[in-house]
Amino acid sequence: MEEQTSSPSSSIDSSSYPVLSTSSSRSRPIFRDLSTDLKLGLSISSSPSTDTSFNSTEQVPDWPPIKPLLRSALVEKRNERHQDSLFVKVYMEGLPIGRKLDLFSLHSYDGLLKTLSRMFKATILCTDVAAQVSSSDIHFLTYEDKEGDWMMVGDVPWEMFLTTVKRLKITRADNL
Amino acid sequence: MTIKKKKEIIDDGKSPENRLSLFPDEVLERVLGFVKSHKDRSAVSLVCKDWYTAERWSRTHVFIGNCYSVSPEIVARRFPNIRSVTLKGKPRFSDFNLVPPDWGADIHSWLVIFASAFPFLEELRLKRMTVTDESLDFLARSFTGFKALSLVSCDGFSTNGLASIASYCRNLTELDIQESGVDELGGSWLSCFPENFMALEALNFANLNSEVNFDALERLVARCRSLKVLKVNKSITLEQLRRLLMRAPQLVELGTGSFSQDHSLRTDGELEVAFNNCKSLHTLSGLWEVSSMYLPALYPACANLVFLNLSYAALQSTELAKLLPNCPLLRRLWVLDTVEDKGLEAVASNCHFLEELRVFPADPFDQEIIQEGVGTGVTEFGFVAVSEGCPNLQYVLYFCRQMTNAAVATVVRNCPNFTHFRLCIMNMCEPDYLTNEPMDEAFGAVVKTCTRLRRLAVSGLLTDRAFEYIGTYAKNLETLSVAFAGSSDRGMQCVLEGCPKLRKLEIRDCPFGNSALLSGLERYETMRSLWMSACKVTIDGCCLLARKMPRLNVEVIKEDENDETHAEKVYVYRSVAGPRRDAPPFVLTL
Repeated sequence: MEEQTSSPSSSIDSSSYPVLSTSSSRSRPIFRDLSTDLKLGLSISSSPSTDTSFNSTEQVPDWPPIKPLLRSALVEKRNERHQDSLFVKVYMEGLPIGRKLDLFSLHSYDGLLKTLSRMFKATILCTDVAAQVSSSDIHFLTYEDKEGDWMMVGDVPWEMFLTTVKRLKITRADNL
Repeated sequence: MTIKKKKEIIDDGKSPENRLSLFPDEVLERVLGFVKSHKDRSAVSLVCKDWYTAERWSRTHVFIGNCYSVSPEIVARRFPNIRSVTLKGKPRFSDFNLVPPDWGADIHSWLVIFASAFPFLEELRLKRMTVTDESLDFLARSFTGFKALSLVSCDGFSTNGLASIASYCRNLTELDIQESGVDELGGSWLSCFPENFMALEALNFANLNSEVNFDALERLVARCRSLKVLKVNKSITLEQLRRLLMRAPQLVELGTGSFSQDHSLRTDGELEVAFNNCKSLHTLSGLWEVSSMYLPALYPACANLVFLNLSYAALQSTELAKLLPNCPLLRRLWVLDTVEDKGLEAVASNCHFLEELRVFPADPFDQEIIQEGVGTGVTEFGFVAVSEGCPNLQYVLYFCRQMTNAAVATVVRNCPNFTHFRLCIMNMCEPDYLTNEPMDEAFGAVVKTCTRLRRLAVSGLLTDRAFEYIGTYAKNLETLSVAFAGSSDRGMQCVLEGCPKLRKLEIRDCPFGNSALLSGLERYETMRSLWMSACKVTIDGCCLLARKMPRLNVEVIKEDENDETHAEKVYVYRSVAGPRRDAPPFVLTL
């Protein structure tokens, strides 16, 4: 997807607002995180320095504004259409043999942490609480996402997490 | 109206003593007892000191739109006879994960005060509050006459808390936990209702995932002869639903469970018989995982339907087109955009009395691979079609991916009576896709034509022009939601200066900075709250606001340690309770 090189309409001053996608009737809409541009008050021109990658699978977790229950119902519906379960491998640091867990049988991060804590007999935390703790018998939960990056579990809404998680790893707090 | 007549009598020129002797306190209180609307009661309390006193003694229901605007002590001191409390907590944008967890709005401190001040409390209705199991247990044990608990979009509790309510509230008539985030530890809570408990009139646990003991549920439904509202969760199968309906044909509101293939249903005819018995149904929802072959079983129950909520049922246009002719009296319809424009055309041809339409996106995150030329969802054509067939539309919530200024102008020309207009063009900053112009004229048409407009949500590419229109024409506007819009501070200024009835303003990701924020000084005291996130406001600007307006609480939510000056999320609200005493570390009170 490319931006047009000139303002779409002569009556509009391109410096007064960021001009985004100007092509019409696309079948794949584009989500773009404008917050940085808006904060800096930049107008978007065709210059390469302000170009952002139009990754059409980019998702902003808090947009569009849909309430959590409907959001999770819709994502569940999607996932159910393709598969009835989502088994992912779970490894704990220091243990060579991993476990497998069906994430669709759980409905929240709370459930995930509780289940894993039971499975591995350890105290496992995720993002919010993690930062303040550094004792050696506290563990963090991390996951590998679709892009191959290792991320801390808990930052994105649960239903969104389900769509990007590939596997889980439980690491020790003092190893991060 | 009673109040007006009394005012006329009082203004007849008699001396104060004579005026007062016309109305002994008891009489005044008795009369005021008939005044229900909290706005009217506020007005009554401002007339004179006697009326203030009579009003406070006769008030039985208090509505608090922002739990931090007042403290439970103040409420208890002013109103001695409260039986019913409605409280709202977190800012609405918390629904979209914009408010960090543990932000606040915990009900517990309120309950502690209520336990001593209002031991006869009967109803508690909470929205976006944090409620723990301890609080639910405390509630169940502290108020012996407790009747109605409604927790909408709340969180912090588990099914154990529900077990406490079921076990101890002997007079419970209503238990509604819709849209709340519940930690599900199983379905045994429902079995905690005692076998001799029969008072239930409304039960809504549609948001839960876990299975409940069906036998316990069936027995409960069978013995609660006054049950009018039953909304079960998706673990309830069609055959189970059939049995419940046979027990409770008197239901007025029904939320079904799963509507998908159920092999234990002996024949389809049986299901239809069960629905046929339900002649009083006004509201129908649920229909999880709907399988279209079972839809016709519903038809006999739809004759008196006023509200049909299909937002969890991914119907196609043909299915909707077959269902709607059975619902001639429909006034409110919620659907998923899987019905597409054709489905909306069916709405237009069948639902002549429609007043409210909400169209939700089935695929908000665009995870489906969309083929070229094959559109998904609804477009401006569907919107216009509905407006042509349903002239009584007053409320619309419409999610789409493309829209034109002309279409919106046509819609409001056909339906000038909108009170609530919420258009969400899901692509951020999307212009009119035919003309490539901003969507300013669309919302200009809305505010110019719909003079009764009370609530507006804007989207698409918008310049300050849109806000000039809003400030100039939207004189009855009370709630405005803005995202990714505007070009400068002027936009927000126009709204603050031009909309006298504005009560709630929520803004995200807009280029509004300190001078916009500070253009609203006195306005904020007439509003319930202001929310601004990801805008250009700085901490200094907020401090200045806080200094100039000491009766406002100016709070900044700060999660990013790196940026010292930027105020990521700002929440400003009027309060008689002073600054929050329970603010977590990431909420800075200025």
